[in-house]
Amino acid sequence: MSASPEGFRSLSAAEFFYRNREIAGFSNPTRALYQTVRELVENALDAADTHGILPVVKVYVERVRGDVGYYRVTVEDNGIGIPPQYVPQAFGQVLFSSKYVLRQSRGMFGLGAKMAILYGQMTTGLPVEVVSSPARHYRIHYYKILIDVKENKPIILEHKSWRKSGSWHGTIVSTTVEGDWSRARSYIYDYIRGTAVVAPYADIFFQDPDGNIVRFPRSISKMPPPPRKVKPHPHGVDIEQLKMLISASKATNLYDFLVESFQAIGPKSARSFLEWAGLVDPENPDDKGIDPHKMKRGELEYLARKLKEYSGFKAPRTDPLSPLGEEIIVAGLKKVYEPDFVAAVTRRPRAYSGHPFIVEAAVAYGGRIKSSDEPMLIRYANKIPLLMDMKSDVSWKVVDPKRFDWRNYLVSFPAPLLVLVHVCSTKVPFRGVGKESIADVPELESEIRNAVREVARRLRRFLSRKRREEELKQRIDTFLKYVPEVARSLSVIMGGDGEKELRRMLLEVIRRHVGLPEHEARSLEEKLGRLGDKR
Amino acid sequence: MRQMDVEARRRAAATIRERFLEIVEQMRRGEKPVLVMPKRTLSNTIYDVRRRMLLLGPDKIKRSFLDLGEARRFMQTLLMASIIYEALVNDEYPTIRDLYYRGKHTLRGRENTWDTQRESDAAIRDVESYTGLLREEMLILSKEKGKVVGRMRIRSGGDVIDLSRMGHGAYSIEPTPDQIEFLDIDAEYVLVIEKDAVFQQLHRIKFWDKHKALLITSAGQPDRATRRFVRRLSDELGLPVYILTDSDPYGFYIYSVFKIGSVTLSYESERLATPDAKFIGVMPSDIFGDEVLEKYADAFAKLLGKRGLRKILTGKKPVLSAGERRNYIIRAKPSDVMRAIELVGVDTYAPFRKYVESKLRVGGKELRELRRKEHAGYDWFKTPEWIREIGIFFATLSKLEIEALTSRGLRFLAHKYIPEKIETGDWIE
Repeated sequence: MSASPEGFRSLSAAEFFYRNREIAGFSNPTRALYQTVRELVENALDAADTHGILPVVKVYVERVRGDVGYYRVTVEDNGIGIPPQYVPQAFGQVLFSSKYVLRQSRGMFGLGAKMAILYGQMTTGLPVEVVSSPARHYRIHYYKILIDVKENKPIILEHKSWRKSGSWHGTIVSTTVEGDWSRARSYIYDYIRGTAVVAPYADIFFQDPDGNIVRFPRSISKMPPPPRKVKPHPHGVDIEQLKMLISASKATNLYDFLVESFQAIGPKSARSFLEWAGLVDPENPDDKGIDPHKMKRGELEYLARKLKEYSGFKAPRTDPLSPLGEEIIVAGLKKVYEPDFVAAVTRRPRAYSGHPFIVEAAVAYGGRIKSSDEPMLIRYANKIPLLMDMKSDVSWKVVDPKRFDWRNYLVSFPAPLLVLVHVCSTKVPFRGVGKESIADVPELESEIRNAVREVARRLRRFLSRKRREEELKQRIDTFLKYVPEVARSLSVIMGGDGEKELRRMLLEVIRRHVGLPEHEARSLEEKLGRLGDKR
Repeated sequence: MRQMDVEARRRAAATIRERFLEIVEQMRRGEKPVLVMPKRTLSNTIYDVRRRMLLLGPDKIKRSFLDLGEARRFMQTLLMASIIYEALVNDEYPTIRDLYYRGKHTLRGRENTWDTQRESDAAIRDVESYTGLLREEMLILSKEKGKVVGRMRIRSGGDVIDLSRMGHGAYSIEPTPDQIEFLDIDAEYVLVIEKDAVFQQLHRIKFWDKHKALLITSAGQPDRATRRFVRRLSDELGLPVYILTDSDPYGFYIYSVFKIGSVTLSYESERLATPDAKFIGVMPSDIFGDEVLEKYADAFAKLLGKRGLRKILTGKKPVLSAGERRNYIIRAKPSDVMRAIELVGVDTYAPFRKYVESKLRVGGKELRELRRKEHAGYDWFKTPEWIREIGIFFATLSKLEIEALTSRGLRFLAHKYIPEKIETGDWIE
């Protein structure tokens, strides 16, 4: 699973990642082009929304050399910008990142963008160009950078700066990669659309190599609260993590170490845990356990196991999670799909193996959603659209019509049904290295099922109302169809006049029979007028 | 325009207006428009023993405009009523085919008011039973079928017609027989003959003149006009009516339609049925006598009791010799047997079952169908007299056409068979 520390020593980090580029999703020109767009867009959104700025993101993919498939990907954001002195490291040195902390964020390794730059450099030999300016800085800086792969160091080819005339802040990154636009096209469009759904508060602009432009303007100005950093939960740590925590701690006994390094452990619970685990003398309240720095491997293993087993800890805190919220999901789906009905739910936080997670689900029906024999499932992990390997995802297992009885919810396929599932967690249990589908974790699966059921129940109410309305409409249409003939016939029998009055009486009788309120009488008349009476 | 015609029109139009005014009133009261009319199904058809005719029972159906399944039929009924009403006030005489064309047009979209004449005919029946007016009363014409000759003068459409001066032809009974005025008559009874050919033969030899009879043919299954005409003769002139049909279950049923009405159109019986009509022949007992039933006496005793049995076994002698029978009779088919079972019911058939099945040379499929036949029979056929006649039919599996009697000589039919039966009272009431 994870590379051993020895591996890092013999290779530079940059070289290691380049050799293992398929892990980061750069296995072929199609994936690479799509992944480049994706990494840069995610960085751009992170630069804005995690700092409370409503994002404006512009994405350009240009064909540089059609014959060899070189594409220039440029992404511009209005985020906080990067202080000029950090720009070379931020884009030219692998494993330099502000993201290497425990919180939910879009980036996967904290090196996605650098992977794209590295891939571009290795396939085209062209440097990355960066323009950036933080807020309240007076100057804009321009860099042209290559990565020294052997040394894992940035090589600055060019650096310019100039005074800002306005108050612009943000970053523009432009890198050229070898890619296959014709194959990557649908993935990139799906990605842009999927991103627009979960970021309706962002203004997203995209121009493709053929000059086509799509824009998803901002439709809501509410943003999800930015995630916060938290300490790890005792249920979620393994031995390696425990080692790291100990080496970072200055505590001289287990009691102090536990209280300061973990969430959900206070003085009381630390004491009860240590007594339960037999790591302190229960008769001696002054016994605070041994110095964790002196623990041997077997003792560490014991501690890690006991931390997992102990049931007295509070549930993991959920502050590091940043769900989208029902309002944002609804706004996003409305914006992109204009459905007849949409419902979303954000479930209460739960945890699996000490990792907190929140499931969000939504259903949308009708509108621009295409009718299909299966629900259209769109998946997100920590706000990132997951586009591939859908059928092996735990969410598909839940919504698959073969296993989920949609008929109970009045959905009969083919139907224009969209299901959205968003899993946010400090550790999303991906299946395999591709990180495109989520594994079947029982806690997660049952939570997704509950979430989908909850929104599906609301869909059922909508569909049943819609069905009733359609029946009513059909009834009214049937009656209205015969009204002119019946009125005319009656008026003939009554001596030739009063047809208008008879029509009015018939409409009134229909209105009362179908239970339309009195003020709807006019609408019936208008409808009858539209039907016309062709004799 | 004849006075009678004008009055009939005024009467019918007024009735239609009055009945449909009720729909307008319903709406004025804020109620749903509903047509309430007698239910025209077999289950609501009742044989009135006292009046001796088929009548509609008390069940009503409600046809509501605001019922999805009935809205179209409601519209059709009103449309038909309006067309009939217009024809009445415009002095027209539409046929049922005319009514179909007059009403047929496209509503919004592709839907037609009606597509086939079946639908418009059903609408005519709805108007009839909702208003209680027969189509003749609403001056709707149909094909003329029945004919009459005899010593009688009538007025029709303002002309006086002498029914004894029709040459070789005969007077076609008009579709609106209520507009016929009876002027004077010199006849003692009415003879209705199923077969047109036999009617013509009797007419050529002026049977009606010699025997003071009104001679009528229905040319098969009687139409409404013929039935109404016969009913008026019976009611208004008090003439006895004798009916002569083939000797087979189909012929027996024609008699039944004249006498008590048809099951499918029982709503008109009150005006069309002639309860006093008598079945004069041809009876199976005329052909075979009643001795063929003697071996079934025990079974009949069980069915009818001793007194009933005495009514059946009267020692009647056949009018045909064994040789004539061999030449004239036709073998019955399984469909005839089925029809006969419908008339008298399976209990009367039961004693003959074995015999019938052994004699009918039919395949297993038809036999199985016959065995499955379940019918209780009609009350008016379950009299000792009919049980005897149809019993003889079962016991002999023989049919006879009236024409067979004429081949023995027209004189035999005209001057012996018919007069003797009337004189001796050898008929079934």
